[in-house]
Amino acid sequence: MSDSETVIQTGKSSSKRNGFLTAISEMPVMVKLALFWLVFIVTAAIYAQIDLLLNQALPLQDPFHQPFLFGDASPVEGPSADHVLGTDILSRDNLSRLIHGAWVSLIVAVTVVAFGIVFGGFIGAFVGYVRGRSETVVMAGLDVVLAFPPLVLLLALVSIYKVRNLTLIALVFGVLSIPTYVRIARASTLGIASREFIQAAEAIGTKRRSILFREIIPNIMPALLAYALISAGFVIVIEGTLSYLGLSVQIPQPTWGNMINEGRRDIRRTILPIFWPGLFLTLTVVSLNMLGDWVQQRVAVRSSAL
Amino acid sequence: MKKSWLKLIAPLFAIALIGAACGGSDSDSESSSSSDTESSTETETTEAPETEDTVLEAGTEAEGDVDTEVEAVVEESSYGGTVIIGLEAEATGLRPWEDGCSSPCLVMMKAMIDTMVERRADGTYGPWLAKSWSSNEGYTEWTFELQEGVLFHNGYSFNAKTLVDMFELQKVGAISAGVVSAAKVGEVVAVDNLTVKYVLTGAHSAFPSFLYGVGLGGVFEPNAANEDFDGFSMNPIGTGPFMMDKRDLDNETIVVRNPNYWMSDEDGNQLPYLDSVQFRPIPDEGTRLDSLLSGTTSMMQTLRQGTIRDARAAKADGADITLLEFQGNNVGGGQYNNNNPPLDDVRVRKGLTQMNNQDAVIEALGGTGISLPGTQWFSPDSPWYSEKVAAAWPKFDFDAGKALIEEYVNDPDRSDGRDVGDNIEVELSCPPDPTLIAAIQVIEQLWSATGMIDVNVTNYDQQTHINYALGAPPDFMGEHGAHCWRWSSNDDPSTFLNTQFAPPTLGIAAAYGLDGIFSPINFPNYFDIEMFGWLVAAISTDVFEERYALYEMVMMRLARDVPVWYSGHTATLLAAESNILGVNGWLLPDGSLGAGFPSAVARWGQVFIDN
Repeated sequence: MSDSETVIQTGKSSSKRNGFLTAISEMPVMVKLALFWLVFIVTAAIYAQIDLLLNQALPLQDPFHQPFLFGDASPVEGPSADHVLGTDILSRDNLSRLIHGAWVSLIVAVTVVAFGIVFGGFIGAFVGYVRGRSETVVMAGLDVVLAFPPLVLLLALVSIYKVRNLTLIALVFGVLSIPTYVRIARASTLGIASREFIQAAEAIGTKRRSILFREIIPNIMPALLAYALISAGFVIVIEGTLSYLGLSVQIPQPTWGNMINEGRRDIRRTILPIFWPGLFLTLTVVSLNMLGDWVQQRVAVRSSAL
Repeated sequence: MKKSWLKLIAPLFAIALIGAACGGSDSDSESSSSSDTESSTETETTEAPETEDTVLEAGTEAEGDVDTEVEAVVEESSYGGTVIIGLEAEATGLRPWEDGCSSPCLVMMKAMIDTMVERRADGTYGPWLAKSWSSNEGYTEWTFELQEGVLFHNGYSFNAKTLVDMFELQKVGAISAGVVSAAKVGEVVAVDNLTVKYVLTGAHSAFPSFLYGVGLGGVFEPNAANEDFDGFSMNPIGTGPFMMDKRDLDNETIVVRNPNYWMSDEDGNQLPYLDSVQFRPIPDEGTRLDSLLSGTTSMMQTLRQGTIRDARAAKADGADITLLEFQGNNVGGGQYNNNNPPLDDVRVRKGLTQMNNQDAVIEALGGTGISLPGTQWFSPDSPWYSEKVAAAWPKFDFDAGKALIEEYVNDPDRSDGRDVGDNIEVELSCPPDPTLIAAIQVIEQLWSATGMIDVNVTNYDQQTHINYALGAPPDFMGEHGAHCWRWSSNDDPSTFLNTQFAPPTLGIAAAYGLDGIFSPINFPNYFDIEMFGWLVAAISTDVFEERYALYEMVMMRLARDVPVWYSGHTATLLAAESNILGVNGWLLPDGSLGAGFPSAVARWGQVFIDN
């Protein structure tokens, strides 16, 4: 086992559970609050999806139902017992739509992180370690992808397929995220590949594939995860922007961005339909950034010990 | 240990894809929600009669409240000053024959470009650059006497030859060529220096109405246009009361007084009164209103009902502004592609229309108390409006609409080829404007609530939305389904109805012996040979009662076949500081009262600031 692995495993030497609890206990209060908010959002979003799968059997209002069509509620109501966060311009329950909207942000963010880490991380580690012609070709290709405006690509796909569902949006974001992760993974790999433990592994005849998967990739993961948390926040903002412009998932699927867009019509009457999704969006992005910063600091400390 | 990161990533990746797949299908989530909504709706439909009773009968509610009466100015006019107006968009170009010009563009263009005729407050057409006119018995030749002593901004004289030279450009202009075709103009002949004759290829009893629009009636200096075709867009040369001074696209356009303007007021005072007008495109509705309220601008226009509501509230709160509201024939709504199953079946079109709660849609548009529900292509204050049509139009009746859809769904010969009992599929599309998005969701909710309609909601940008309905050559049939659209204008009905409901393809035209007569802008792809005959007959007589009867028959046919649907009539607003006068109550050269401010388009020649 290499020195670096020893260092990286230091925090897990007793048990994973204790390590996790130790990590949480070491968090500053604000980071703990950020983590709490993210857990709440993820839990709420999953709860909403389960509710949909159970045909709305759980105690959560239908995010699509417009009671004003049937005289049950008025558009743009303030908070009440029936609607804790009030209603939107079509009298739909704001809380329910916020929670369902979180699912879109969550899926887009998770897809981007997954695509970035799995594909971007692997490709970056591979070309960073193998180098040579494959590195030149891959990096040149990624430069081309990076140069392509993502909004234009999204508009082109929408025009071609005439659909804007969550799968398409998430996949587009996911694919577009790969080049950045490749660059980070490659840069980290270049640093790690020149370390003594890698040279030692090569000297004793360890297969390159084994070195890549067992030595390099595990060591670049912390940096990728730290970046992933921060990029997830960025992606949520981008998705919100696209939703605001009407270019993300198709209505009536609620998203925080399209809730803000719909609410701005009545901004002179009440700011609540804009305030709530704006608050959820802000808290989520700030939380991801705080957590990402915290992870990054811990990674930096450990890397310096290598 | 070394595989631990894989254990982390694998579920993450799986969750992402599964989640995307589950949540990705909008139809999935809609269907699960719609089943619940259906039960809610069915519960509510027991109260349907009450709901139906509350539906506004067009013309019986808010009439008068929504329009500012056009009346003569009583204050004494004064010279000087500048009006700064916030517009909802920049004009893409200012060439009357070449550039598409909507309301904000017309606000600008009307300052510099005069038209041959103008519309009076009573809806008839009166003199402007054309002093008088007459036609032959068959309405195929129209002779116009022109105003004397009219100069263009560059000093050239306006005369009959000007119109002949203009026609060369108008025949091929991107905008005017269509108008030339619709108006059937074959030739423009200069009879003498101040007399011009329009020779038509067919009868058109309402031909002067075409000279009200800038496409054919907007008078521009043809030499300047020929010398600098593109440059004319930035520096139009007309005979209007103002001349271009500065054109800074997307920021500010300034026009200054034309010292040689041909028109004087009733007391013989040279027009215009103002020193200059500044046009500032401010696309955001709230910002545009705030700019007026804060004094950054002194005037604004809007075509949005929500902004009209906010402007009313601001005035009620004490803002020192004048609200000039106008509700014309233009009516929002949409069209069904009559060429595509299942919308080719009148039961489906009528059923969908009856399930469309107009009041709720107008509420979603922010137009409650502002916008009148539409039942036809004419608003209640139009001379063409028909109570008979209003009564015939299929109003909101959810159960009746659902029954029609059910009848189609259970028809073994249903046109969409699906099995009996299968849901019908309808694409419902609107541009991504917030108010339209709200409105479309109301309709989607109601249609989905039947449990028999799979509604596929889509939004495309404005241009894609139009192209989608237009389709591709040679047939121009369009692939759209139920498509948001606007209908009608305050022009003569022939100017829009005859092209809108001409044969949609050459093949259909040939099938009815109308070789070569087709209209790509028949967006609903609806054609009725009998109705087309009424439209043709309506331009072969100038007797109002005869024409009214023919257009009423046309509207009754639309109420029967329902190729289109309506939401509310489009209310528009010009809001101004209260000392800006003359926007309302300007006069034509013969002393008759002008049309005021239709579609939030001001005439600037007689506007003044009351000091």
